[in-house]
Amino acid sequence: MLCLIVCLTVMLGAAASAQDDMETYVLGVALPFTGSFGTFGQDFERGIDLAVAQMNAELEAAGSSIRFETASADTEQTPEGAARALQSIVQTTGAQVVVGPLTTSEVLGAKQFADENGVVIVAMASSGAAASIPGDNIFRVIYPPDTFSSKAFATIALERGHQNMVVLYVDDPFGNGMNEHFTKNYQARGGGEVASFGYAPQSTELSAEAAAVSAALAGFGDGAGFFCVCFPGAAEAFVQVAQIDPILTSVQWLGNEAMTSDEMLEDPGHAQTLANADFVTVSQSADVTPLTPLFNADFVAMFDKEPGIFTNYAFDAANIAMLTMLAAGNDGAAVKSMLPFISNHYIGTAVQAFLDENGDQNVARYGIRQVREDGSGFDVIGTYDGNSDSITYK
Amino acid sequence: MPPALLTTSLVNTIQIGSLYALMALGITLTFSVMKLPNFAHAEYVTAGAYAALIVSLSGVLNPLVIMAAAFIVGALSALISQLAVFKRLEGKEVSLYTLILSSFAVGLIIRYILFLMADYFNLFDLRIGIPLTIVFRDGSLILSNLFAWVVPTSIVLVVLLTLLLNATPLGREMRALANNVNLARVIGIPVERVKNYTWLLVGGLAGVAGALWGLQTAVHPLMGWGAIISVFAAAILGGLSSFSGTILGAYVVAFSENTVMLFLNANFGVDLAYKPAIPFIIIIAVLLIRPQGFTNLIRRAGDLQR
Repeated sequence: MLCLIVCLTVMLGAAASAQDDMETYVLGVALPFTGSFGTFGQDFERGIDLAVAQMNAELEAAGSSIRFETASADTEQTPEGAARALQSIVQTTGAQVVVGPLTTSEVLGAKQFADENGVVIVAMASSGAAASIPGDNIFRVIYPPDTFSSKAFATIALERGHQNMVVLYVDDPFGNGMNEHFTKNYQARGGGEVASFGYAPQSTELSAEAAAVSAALAGFGDGAGFFCVCFPGAAEAFVQVAQIDPILTSVQWLGNEAMTSDEMLEDPGHAQTLANADFVTVSQSADVTPLTPLFNADFVAMFDKEPGIFTNYAFDAANIAMLTMLAAGNDGAAVKSMLPFISNHYIGTAVQAFLDENGDQNVARYGIRQVREDGSGFDVIGTYDGNSDSITYK
Repeated sequence: MPPALLTTSLVNTIQIGSLYALMALGITLTFSVMKLPNFAHAEYVTAGAYAALIVSLSGVLNPLVIMAAAFIVGALSALISQLAVFKRLEGKEVSLYTLILSSFAVGLIIRYILFLMADYFNLFDLRIGIPLTIVFRDGSLILSNLFAWVVPTSIVLVVLLTLLLNATPLGREMRALANNVNLARVIGIPVERVKNYTWLLVGGLAGVAGALWGLQTAVHPLMGWGAIISVFAAAILGGLSSFSGTILGAYVVAFSENTVMLFLNANFGVDLAYKPAIPFIIIIAVLLIRPQGFTNLIRRAGDLQR
């Protein structure tokens, strides 16, 4: 009996000791789970959960004592919400690395707290030029900044013969940056006047904006083009009111990828409007790597649904964050120092990550997509290489 | 300001003002009869829009059927709010502030139920499937089928409401509640039943407004909330006790957001991104300068408290 008790005690002690040796790294997740980008946030979180589950399985198989767990908070799709989310995650869990937030305005909202507290932000989809800041704690590892795509849009506008342009942009750091860089590049390359109209990010009804854009296009006369820099929701609302405007339906449009959602083309009127406008967009290349189909299959196996657009970016960002933590430890300063090295040696489900001096993705390969004549979908008509500033049409 | 832009902005004013009026009438009715500035009203609008969207996705594109579905869902949302929350709180004789906070809470609950549903069925940023067409065009004056639906629907519903209020026993009972609920109870008016009918009416109107708003823009769980400040501005302009004042308030808000905003943009370079500030400015200006709004300026037929 005594032997049995001794054996049990030793076994339990060993198990407890093994448990004590385990080290848990908390990976913060700050995303908009509510608001109009709530679906993106929820899907991105699933991508991150998949990355963490796979990493933990590999660590366990390798006999490592390190495990990852996530701590999430809702950014509410606002800069203030992002700051609160980051603060909440860090103060309640001690996390040193946070994946997210989604938009540039949220990233900038969380920046001050991150910089002051040595917390590293690994953002997956923010592209606004305003967040390209050297030396800060923000790394935007997948999606390149809009300084690249604005050049592509400017070049395409000129190649289409647009002598003047009218821009409708969301009045936030993303839209302001795109408008500013587009205008600068368009005019530097020989373009004429640019009339710009901002709309408030929370706007859901854009008839006044459509009227203003239409009047500006009419003022420019023949040869003017239109460039729409809108968020999802606003994009649909704008096309809804624009489709009966005689001026807006007689000029060519450019627009960001929010204009290319499935929901947009599901509406026959919207699809026809974009088709009549020879709508063209520039968005990060949807090139696949050998990991892309594996990610898609694993995602479906885990969540019983297809991953949404850009969900693989969240998966990749989480992997870069975790690999860096494994290399540098659970310490913000060390992660900040190490992350560019890890990123620059990471090939994920989308593209090679390679960061510039601002900690932003510097591999800028974009697809140029045009809506089909019948509005049934988009065709890739070319590519834009941001690093050589050159367009290649198919 | 170019004439074409002025014309378009005035058409937008009438169309959007009519939609605001439909939404704001319910707020005025709730405040007058129930003494509640109900912030959950935005969610009745959204619920109605989703009902309309789902009906249209099922292949039914008859506007009357779509609006009927929106009316029913909006009405039920409002009635459930009343029976599950507001009625119980009234029984506890809580303060107005508690009721306002509870209306926010009810609104949040409905909103996130809609979010869950929209997420599960992927119903974000969709349009109610009635195609937008031009029904009249003369130079820069362009009227769409949406205009042709929104404006007459608003006018008909407002006329029906006014008739209900003035020419039916239920309307008289509503007005009695609006004036003095205790006295109404003493003289034998079935207060709870009248309140329930009022909630059904309020929610139904909001639901129809949601269906029409969903034709104007994209359907999303936040669409009602996105419009609610403008709608409250309209109701406050109307003094929160007058149908006619509320309708006028709705058109003033829509005029400010469209024609005035475009005038300021064209002539003074004021950015259109400031448009959402307009209803706040109106609310503050009314509360500071004329808290009673248009009340006493426009009186009689549409007034609830007289």
